[in-house]
Amino acid sequence: MAIVSKTANSASFRNSRRWLTVALALYFIYTFIPIFYVIVSSTKSNADLFGTFGLWFSGDFHFWQNLQDLFTYQDGIFSRWLLNTILYSVVSGVGAALFATFAGYAFSKFEFVGKKLSFALVLGAVMIPQTALVIPIFLLLSKVGLVNTPWAVILPSLVFPPGVFLMKVYADDALSNELIEAGRVDGAGEVHIFFNIAFRLLTPGFATVLILAFVATWNNYFLPLVLLNSSDNFPVTVGLSQWYALATSGSGGAVLFSIVMAGSLVSIVPVIAAFLIMQRYWQGGLGAGGVKA
Amino acid sequence: MPDAVATRRRGRVYVTKSVAPYLFLLPFMALFIAFLIAPLCYAFGLSLFKTTMVAGTQFVGAANYLKVFTDPSFWDGVVLLFKFGLMQIPIMLGLALLYALILDSGRVYGRNFFRIAFFIPYAVPSVIAALLWGYLYGPSFGPFGQLAEFFHLPKPQFLLDGTILGSIANIAVWEFMGYNLIIYFAALQAIPQDLEEASSVDGATGLQYALRIKLPLIMPTVIVTIIFSIIGTLQLFSEPYLMRNLAPGIINSHYTPNFYAYTLAFTNQQYNYSAAVSFVLGGVVAVVSYVFMLLANRRAA
Amino acid sequence: MAVIELKGVEKSFGSVKVIRGVDLKVEHGEFVVFVGPSGSGKSTLLRLVAGLEETSGGTILIDGRDVTNLGPAERELAMVFQSYALYPHKTIRGNMSFGLEVAGFPKDEIRQRVDEVARLLQLSDYLERKPRELSGGQRQRVAIGRAIVREPVAFMFDEPLSNLDAGLRVDMRIEITKLHQRLGATMIYVTHDQVEAMTLADRIVVLDKGIIQQTGSPLELYEHPANLFVAQFIGSPKMNVLPAAFKEGRISINGGVGIEAGKMTGTDVANVGIRPDDIEISPDGTGLIHGKVDVVERLGSDTFAYVAVPGAHAVTVRAPRDSAVAIGQDVGLTFRPERLQIFAVDGTSLRLRPGV
Ligand SMILES: Nc1ncnc2c1ncn2[C@@H]1O[C@H](COP(=O)(O)OP(=O)(O)O)[C@@H](O)[C@H]1O
Ligand SMILES: [Mg+2]
Repeated sequence: MAIVSKTANSASFRNSRRWLTVALALYFIYTFIPIFYVIVSSTKSNADLFGTFGLWFSGDFHFWQNLQDLFTYQDGIFSRWLLNTILYSVVSGVGAALFATFAGYAFSKFEFVGKKLSFALVLGAVMIPQTALVIPIFLLLSKVGLVNTPWAVILPSLVFPPGVFLMKVYADDALSNELIEAGRVDGAGEVHIFFNIAFRLLTPGFATVLILAFVATWNNYFLPLVLLNSSDNFPVTVGLSQWYALATSGSGGAVLFSIVMAGSLVSIVPVIAAFLIMQRYWQGGLGAGGVKA
Repeated sequence: MPDAVATRRRGRVYVTKSVAPYLFLLPFMALFIAFLIAPLCYAFGLSLFKTTMVAGTQFVGAANYLKVFTDPSFWDGVVLLFKFGLMQIPIMLGLALLYALILDSGRVYGRNFFRIAFFIPYAVPSVIAALLWGYLYGPSFGPFGQLAEFFHLPKPQFLLDGTILGSIANIAVWEFMGYNLIIYFAALQAIPQDLEEASSVDGATGLQYALRIKLPLIMPTVIVTIIFSIIGTLQLFSEPYLMRNLAPGIINSHYTPNFYAYTLAFTNQQYNYSAAVSFVLGGVVAVVSYVFMLLANRRAA
Repeated sequence: MAVIELKGVEKSFGSVKVIRGVDLKVEHGEFVVFVGPSGSGKSTLLRLVAGLEETSGGTILIDGRDVTNLGPAERELAMVFQSYALYPHKTIRGNMSFGLEVAGFPKDEIRQRVDEVARLLQLSDYLERKPRELSGGQRQRVAIGRAIVREPVAFMFDEPLSNLDAGLRVDMRIEITKLHQRLGATMIYVTHDQVEAMTLADRIVVLDKGIIQQTGSPLELYEHPANLFVAQFIGSPKMNVLPAAFKEGRISINGGVGIEAGKMTGTDVANVGIRPDDIEISPDGTGLIHGKVDVVERLGSDTFAYVAVPGAHAVTVRAPRDSAVAIGQDVGLTFRPERLQIFAVDGTSLRLRPGV
């Protein structure tokens, strides 16, 4: 990068490099404030939370106590929420990625009746406001008795249209038609070709969609808020927001603040970890979607 | 192709090229129809009826839609979203573009560190983001308020009538700037290296190269992100819903159209009218996106 | 071994006709090359034979059996692709075994057949490697090996050598010829490179715009091209074409005096063609036409002179390597009349030659 200017006048290069890094550092501080805040706050007792400076630790390290409170409050319902979130996200993530991979492969490698129309529908799906979908889904699922069951969250989350788009783009690039044709000439059927040849080469794309769909479900709020009504089925987002509402409504819930902080920290750590571990995949995947769109 | 959908060939089910695409599409499309197309059709049907205690459910045609068109609770929300979007989208995407160009220039320390650090907020659920910023905004116990108090300055008021919209916009910027940055960065990385060499041979400075060559080249990507941001903005719900207790009286039950539709459905049980509100909102989303695309294309032409 | 027969085969993509009625019979053990410029429909025709595309019209028979509506698996052909299309996640052995596994052969037999073919192609040392660990030429051999192990009724090749560098291409060409001799199998081979076509083929099929222009042995095409297109496509460097006209029993070349037309009586003569090898450079003032030497290329084995002829394209001449021809020289060009090809206005070859 910038080979020419680097050698031409390296003093000015080093100077601009310093200032640009400062500009990045400023935004980094901004990005980091809320995360630092939740880390600091989860180490404080409820009294310190209000009585000491918010962006620094207090002398009293209350972290383990907060965690213990978090997992024991209301008979330990938080661990239930955490398990629910994990269940919903893993099942939806794996299912959505698998189905998106099938569909993206079909859109990329086959000609069939209705291809253009159905692909346009899938792309157009992003325009639909959440309420326009979630409310009728609620009404329809309540007719078949699925409201307030894990299925009410999992089934709609299996539909992940951006994943289909991403997998189509990925298959266009990563999978040559000749490879599939080689399989056909070798006498393999289409399902055999998919699982023995294509899927292996689509795995990075699959991983990308998997993490994006997983995070989308992990972070989802509106869908479970509407479709679930018993606390036992809540994911962390809905559960914590209820505690938070209780805390902020002033009706004696103020003791909940430090628990909510600890809960927030616990709920974001796995997602951040997933993103860090799988950075190769989401960076490539988001990029492909954006560049090709 | 043989007539049989799948023929058995030496003990293995053999799926032909002509049926395979339908088979591969089946799971996704079945769910897509069940949880997207069907609910939409159902909601559209709902929006054409009205349920009252007295008359029961009766067909009213476009009456609900006509009512939405003159409902100030809906249009106030739309106007609010326009203000919100005009503030939040340019700031968010402008920052994303600026930082993507800086990262791509290669003239920084810790490029990978910053790229990933800026993306981290995307991993935070919007509920948690709203909740954390809600604490930070607190006038008495929030750290900004504490700092002001310490220096004997007037306390910043993040949650008042005139400032709360900006405060919510800040949460959205915080959450999604890094996501857009990653997309821009990938587009910038896809620009062939020899363009930079050619432009420096032509005597362009790094800044000129960034603004005159790179920026126009990633414009299509920028337009896509603007459209997605418009769509996302018009669906604003979680952040104001979460903060309703922090600013009671300011964030009302029809603060944004999605909030309004939610209230209509689950507080007032007005499913029919709520469906009409959602559809009109969908229409607004489509029209705004379409108008923006027209403008962008005219500019490009 | 198989006889492959195409009858009135057509193919359209949407409204675009890409193959416009092809009739062709490929005999047992014959090596047939489809040659033509890019976009002429060679690959499409080959893919129709292989069953990778469905026909829009006509029938395809393999050993008398109508396979028009069968998928590639049921045709029991093998194909070697331009990009090799090796399964990147499988080892070389895995690549070569795949077709046999799909067909349900016992493990022992698969192993034995793969080992045997690997020995034949000198791949035995690489069987446990992945394709990316092999050189281009080795990958090409794996692709061929994958085709051979299945003992298919015929082999299809789609530009298999075009991703190799020039030297390797010649080596592989020779290997493929040897392979054909050893296996004696029916082979159809697609290339846009007429040198490859000439060196490999028993019979060449020249395609242009989805139509067979001519079918014949390499020498037949070289000596008796059916039309201007074939004449210019076959042979390197290209045949020279000069404007000509039939006048009073003589053929006048480029407005010049012309030559005896012999028994020929046609009046719609438009062009004559003459190959660079058949022209000799003679002193200025002699010869049938004359011009000025524009460029001289000395290749070592040959010398090519490009002679600017007023009123015509530059004429290419193949001269001996030690020819003294120099740039700017005015020269005459001599050739034997019986070496001329004569073309009608519509481009077809007028078979009767002057003086014959
Ligand atoms: N799948 C396809 N869809 C549409 N047009 C195609 C397709 N495959 C080939 N064609 C067109 O058919 C013509 C012949 O192509 P092809 O057989 O690949 O030519 P060649 O191999 O001689 O270069 C070209 O004009 C090409 O654009
Ligand atoms: Mg081709």
